[in-house]
Amino acid sequence: MNDSTRIPASRRQLLQGAALATTALAAPAYAQNAPRVARVWGEPGPYGGVFVQGMNEWAQRNNENIRFEVEQIPWDGVTVKLTTDLAARRPPALISVESPIAYQLAAEGLLEPVEDVNRAIRAQERLVDGFTLEQFGAWRGVQYAIPVHHQPCLLVVQKDVIDELGLGDPATWNWDQFANAARTIAERKPGMAGYTMALGRNLCADYHISQLIWQAGGMTWDASAGFRTTFDSPGTLEAFEMIRRLQPSMPRAAVEFSFLQVVDQHATGRTGMSAYWGRTMGRAAEEAPALFNNMEYYLNPAHPRTGARWSWTDINGWIIPRRDNAFIRETKEAVAHVSNSVDWMVRYSHSLMPNVGPVFKDVADAPAMLAHPFYQSKKRSLDVIFKESVPHACNTGLEMKRGVNPLAGVAHGRSVWAQSVQRMLLNNESPKTAVEWGHRQFEGIRRDNARMLGG
Amino acid sequence: MDDALGMAQDSSGPPARSRRFSLSDRQVGILFMLPFIITAAAFMVWPVIEAVRMAFYAYNPLRPDDIHWVGLENFERIFDDPLFWESFHQALIWTGWSIFFQTVLGVGLAMLLNMTLPGMAVFRGLLLFPYIVPTVVIALNWRWIFNSEIGIVNHALLQLGIIDQNIAWLSTPDMAMASAILLNVWKYTPFVIICVLARLQTIPTELYDAAKVDGAHSWRRFIDITLPMLKEVLVVVIVFRTIWTFNKFEEIYLLTRGGPGTSTFNLAVYAFEEGMANLRLGVAAATGVVMIALLLVGTVIYVRVSGFGREEKSA
Repeated sequence: MNDSTRIPASRRQLLQGAALATTALAAPAYAQNAPRVARVWGEPGPYGGVFVQGMNEWAQRNNENIRFEVEQIPWDGVTVKLTTDLAARRPPALISVESPIAYQLAAEGLLEPVEDVNRAIRAQERLVDGFTLEQFGAWRGVQYAIPVHHQPCLLVVQKDVIDELGLGDPATWNWDQFANAARTIAERKPGMAGYTMALGRNLCADYHISQLIWQAGGMTWDASAGFRTTFDSPGTLEAFEMIRRLQPSMPRAAVEFSFLQVVDQHATGRTGMSAYWGRTMGRAAEEAPALFNNMEYYLNPAHPRTGARWSWTDINGWIIPRRDNAFIRETKEAVAHVSNSVDWMVRYSHSLMPNVGPVFKDVADAPAMLAHPFYQSKKRSLDVIFKESVPHACNTGLEMKRGVNPLAGVAHGRSVWAQSVQRMLLNNESPKTAVEWGHRQFEGIRRDNARMLGG
Repeated sequence: MDDALGMAQDSSGPPARSRRFSLSDRQVGILFMLPFIITAAAFMVWPVIEAVRMAFYAYNPLRPDDIHWVGLENFERIFDDPLFWESFHQALIWTGWSIFFQTVLGVGLAMLLNMTLPGMAVFRGLLLFPYIVPTVVIALNWRWIFNSEIGIVNHALLQLGIIDQNIAWLSTPDMAMASAILLNVWKYTPFVIICVLARLQTIPTELYDAAKVDGAHSWRRFIDITLPMLKEVLVVVIVFRTIWTFNKFEEIYLLTRGGPGTSTFNLAVYAFEEGMANLRLGVAAATGVVMIALLLVGTVIYVRVSGFGREEKSA
């Protein structure tokens, strides 16, 4: 038996072949890491792409060696994407994320200060009344976010249904009238839910739940009092009881709903009212003109005792990762270029009306901005979304505007607010037991992240 | 004879200047195995070693420079966590019912396919469809199909009068787990069918003929001939399916995200949440180590109890 095999190649040929194969296999990895492309993370929607077009206009004029590319990250996928990319030391050059996550990253020391950019774009003087620069993303006196847009979560109603059932004017409702309206719609309009909000274990449900808590006077942590955990409070209990009161008027599947399911429910006519941001109107305009024509936005119903109408508002700014980011200088210049251009910022807001509220006065009042058709057909709603909501705007990282709190980003990763409510709705725990469970989780988060608070 | 450059030529063998590479058969075999060994080492062995190592460290992915030794603290945390035990309990339910239905349906359908009936060839071809379609596609389609508001399943059941109210397939804890198990059974029963069918086709028909002559009815033939013949392949199939099902992440996460609430959490989903949502990669790794240990012990016990390989050894 022949126990040796002759390979018809010399050693040099074998080595040359191995080198070629290795190069071919490594080529994609090399191309991906080539320094030309600066990644920009934007929310789902075209507006991130529009902003990046403006940034590439700057690049074409000033630095042809760089190209900005947008990557859309789902709202409730940001935390996962961030942890993997940051841990892999491949952060994007620029990020637009929900405010609480921006606050968390700032407190973690992961962000580049941007006071120079905000000075270059005169952000402080241009901001619409009611917002401050700090609300977009300041931590310990340092500014980490460049204002780009705001999105309030409001009461979206089909006015024709409200009028048909004689339910009054939603602008004057308090919680009781609102709950009564939801129940009446569910009872008298077969196939239509009275009210839809997200109750799944996700970011959207966290937002919807927390705005009810604030309306009732509750808070999760008190940023003005050393970030003390205050979740277990009469206000929170009232909010949980309100959710339990509303649930029979909601779709049965609401306990799995996230962002898009709420939009689907409303844009397909299967709910009379919902809690959402501007996207629902935009979607109805595209797909359901009849629904669009009768759709109106209102401030959230006032709590009967506090009178509060807080709305969870994404006070959104661009943030720049500080570490392993090769494009900091170019990114700052490109962002300044776009932010200083009223034309680009109008295009940014117009790309997904009325989801993306303008944050600069000269943009909000620009003739080009006001030329959008929605200002003719839905002026009342647009005024509510863009202007009247601002005094009531806060979010889980800026509860009742009492100070920035980075813990919210951590809590959103676990959807603790949603989990607490689900314990009440699915596990049939009493509201008090569910709230106490949530309080323990929030206190644990505060304890585990005391270092981030400087404590 | 000299060549054009005046170099001496040996006409009886290869040119003197080049040396041919000479390998033994053994070396050639190793060369062919090398790509697999390198890939397995890089993508299977090293991650497992790294995961076991990480189980003893605290690692927040947002602070990759702050990894520090914590000993058994990660394990203490998960054993003290009620959600871990809830996930473990749900993992047993998820795995147990999935394997039971896959095995029963797999053996039944394999026996059906082993018969010469009209259309069997076509059905065999369609059989693999659930197995080859990507899980992402299946899960996202099932989310729509089982949507309690607009899903076609509820629509069909309402039209047929089987139900008078929409079933919340994915919105209640029990139904969500049942839906996830249903998806898992639908997708992986073809694997069981293929393995069992291959074995069925090697069983000598003379055994069945002899049994019929002796008056054994079909159930008796199944119990005394078919099942013993399938024993070895069923042991292997059940072991592998149990391991794969116990570790399953994508079906559950894509279909229910572990919800509603945490009612469809298994240990894989729990590990993911600990790592990605709670930013505790060390705890996630510790959960993985616990899963390895559980599956190893379970597999050894099962193989011994089932007597796998015992007949061949005694023969």
